[in-house]
Amino acid sequence: MRESICVIDDDQIYQLIIKKVVERTEEFESVCFYSDGLDAFEDFKSPKYQLPEIILLDINMPQMDGWQFLDCLISSKPDFDKETAIYIVSSSIAYSDITKAESYTQVSGFLSKPLSVDKLKEIASKHRK
Amino acid sequence: MINVMNRVEQNINSSLKDSYSVALSMGLLINDNGEIIGFEETAPSLLQQFPVIDAIQMVPGGVIQKVFPYEENKTVIGYDILTDSKTIDEALKAIETRKMYFAGPMPLKQGGTAVVGRLPVFKNNKFWGFSAVIIKLESLLEQAQLKELSGDKYIFQFSKENAVTKKEEFFLKNDLDIEYNISESIIFPDGDWEIYIGLKDPKSSFYEFIPLAFFILFIASWLGWMVFILFKQPARLQKLVNSQAGELANSELKFRTIFNQAAIGMVRVETATGRFLETNRRFRELSGYSDEELNSMDFRDVSHPSDVDNNTSLMRQLLDGEIHEYSLEKRLIQKGGNVVWITLSVSPLWKRGFSGNTHIATIEDITKRVAAQEELTHKEKRYRALVENGAEVVTIFSKEGWTLYSSPSVEKLSGYSETEIKSVNLQSLVYPDDLKIFQQQMQAAIQNPKRPIPGEPIRLMNKAGEWRWAESTITNLLDDPNIDGIVGNFRDISDKKEAEINLNRSYQTVMEQNRRLLNFSYIVSHNLRSHSSNIQAILSLYNTTILEDEKNNYIGLLSKVGGALNHTLNDLNEVVSISTNLDLTIEPLQINDFLDKTIDLLELQINEKGAIIKRDVPNEMMVKFNPAYLESVLLNFLTNAIRYREQKRKLVISIVGYKDTENWVLEIKDNGVGIDLERHGDKIFGLYKTFTQRPNSRGVGLFITRNQIEAMGGSVGVESKVGAGTVFKIHFK
Repeated sequence: MRESICVIDDDQIYQLIIKKVVERTEEFESVCFYSDGLDAFEDFKSPKYQLPEIILLDINMPQMDGWQFLDCLISSKPDFDKETAIYIVSSSIAYSDITKAESYTQVSGFLSKPLSVDKLKEIASKHRK
Repeated sequence: MINVMNRVEQNINSSLKDSYSVALSMGLLINDNGEIIGFEETAPSLLQQFPVIDAIQMVPGGVIQKVFPYEENKTVIGYDILTDSKTIDEALKAIETRKMYFAGPMPLKQGGTAVVGRLPVFKNNKFWGFSAVIIKLESLLEQAQLKELSGDKYIFQFSKENAVTKKEEFFLKNDLDIEYNISESIIFPDGDWEIYIGLKDPKSSFYEFIPLAFFILFIASWLGWMVFILFKQPARLQKLVNSQAGELANSELKFRTIFNQAAIGMVRVETATGRFLETNRRFRELSGYSDEELNSMDFRDVSHPSDVDNNTSLMRQLLDGEIHEYSLEKRLIQKGGNVVWITLSVSPLWKRGFSGNTHIATIEDITKRVAAQEELTHKEKRYRALVENGAEVVTIFSKEGWTLYSSPSVEKLSGYSETEIKSVNLQSLVYPDDLKIFQQQMQAAIQNPKRPIPGEPIRLMNKAGEWRWAESTITNLLDDPNIDGIVGNFRDISDKKEAEINLNRSYQTVMEQNRRLLNFSYIVSHNLRSHSSNIQAILSLYNTTILEDEKNNYIGLLSKVGGALNHTLNDLNEVVSISTNLDLTIEPLQINDFLDKTIDLLELQINEKGAIIKRDVPNEMMVKFNPAYLESVLLNFLTNAIRYREQKRKLVISIVGYKDTENWVLEIKDNGVGIDLERHGDKIFGLYKTFTQRPNSRGVGLFITRNQIEAMGGSVGVESKVGAGTVFKIHFK
């Protein structure tokens, strides 16, 4: 079964790029984009909303950053990690960001930009049901 | 009868004195080596001078070695009185008391009964032996004139307690019954003798003969008196001359003994010249010169040069009769050149009102005393210097805080003189916020007498009204009667404290700069990397496609990334220039002047949006700032207020300027959309932090504004409520 993937990132250029990358992997059935954590959370908090299998989450965003988004999601849907795998994707190479990502058990990994087609394929295969 | 008693006592005492003079003269024949020099020549003349003495003995170590007259007494030579039980007790008594003691009456080896007066002689404080005189009992009693005095009426008895048997022995053969006849007795401690005198027959009644007896007595007395006058006058005169000559010899002897044996130095000096006429042993020891050397010297030869003038003038005054004695402390130069301190006491050898030519000086070595005194003075000076010139103030104050004593350094540290500080209460000088600390320290000191209680630094006001940091140690010595107060040691640590405060400030500045640098490096790495990772990704996609359209598409994306990268670099450049621009011109600027300019600049937008601007800024509000920065700061806040206005209501911006304690504050308040500070609080002034999704908000303005304000030494704060509006407060330095 083909999976769905969601990208939350405010960089418009990155959104265009990742769209191409996702297409190239030919692993995903659908891809959705949010430019801010707040917009994404507005949709995700609804109990009826079907979470995507994989979420690629940026850290720096204007209204609600990656960490705030994670905190909100954990408090509204404590078991969300059974449905979805969240990867932090950032251009940051700051050590503090990497350790913070590791401190969340709900986070599956920290990925440094740019994200290659092969890397995404590998992740997709890991979570294929 | 009393009369008779006195006569007897006088006569016996006179004999004892003569014996003492003779024994002392003989004792002086012994030289420093313990040898007897000139016995044979001196002894006959002494016996002749003092006829009561029957013989003289020299008894070194208790063995009789020399005796005079030799012929009658030679049998006793070699006799050891310290081994014979009959003599040892009384001989030891003389040694023990260091005084002449008269042994006996006892039977003599050479025949007869006699008393023996033994004078113990000490050389260098060691017992040498005895110089002894022998007086036959008959001679002693004859001298006492007992026979002449007794006549028909009186009876005498001479007794002594036997040293061995402890029984009283009587030496005169008569029938004096002590119990019956006795009425008086005399005791002589030098020989432990007792002489009794009593009436011959107290019971016989002779009252009937009284008138006749009285007449006869009168005639006899008159005749006796006449005869006495006629015949005894020359004899009496002779006796007077003899006794006076004896006295003179006696006192000369006493003087000589004192002079030579004295423990202090004595010299006889010719007053006019200062020449030494006679010196004693002690002075020779002290000066180091021999008798011969001193004979050709005068006092100047042994005086310290700086003492000579004073001494000479005193001697001149003595000679002129202006003063009758003097004493002074001076330095004596010993033979080896050593200097010793002495006390000199001078008495002239002539009577007041007469003139003379010699004086006696006594000299005492006081070097040790002077040295001890100098050491004491030196210590005292050192101690005072420590207290008076130390960086600490030492004070003694009462429990209530009134100063009782203060070291002179108080003036240097507080500006108050030693007297002024006494009229100021210590507590009134303590900075109000520090009073509690000080009172706690005082409390601890009062509860723990004698224990020094250190205190936290407190601020004290000096006379000029400045607050100075001081550190103190307080010791409660109220129980010590010498102090009777609380001792405080105060140190001025203002410089140290100021350095500490400055250091702390520098530390804060460095920490702040470090935080900003870290933030900046994060920004640089993050923002530049986001572009570079995009370029990498685009190139990777470009290289893996063969479609021409898609390739063109990627090139378009690349140029977009290039534009964004350029923007980022410009922003970073601006930030760096603020942080590194150290020599900007800073001048006093009028806020109203700059507000006018900024509002002019934004006039078009303000009118277009229909915004209302309320101003309440006093004209005297002048701040030290860089003009370009001030323009930028004001423009930024006003632009933000216009940009983030609430669409539903009319925008009102109110600008208020006021003074908060001593610094100017500018408040810029709007009724715009507001910022959720709970969510964004610490990030609002961060770089690339945007809080809305407006396309033109880049997150650069507030970051740069804050940097500009902080570069000018000010600070900026924010209060906001979502939907109600935002207030920015700029605190100027």
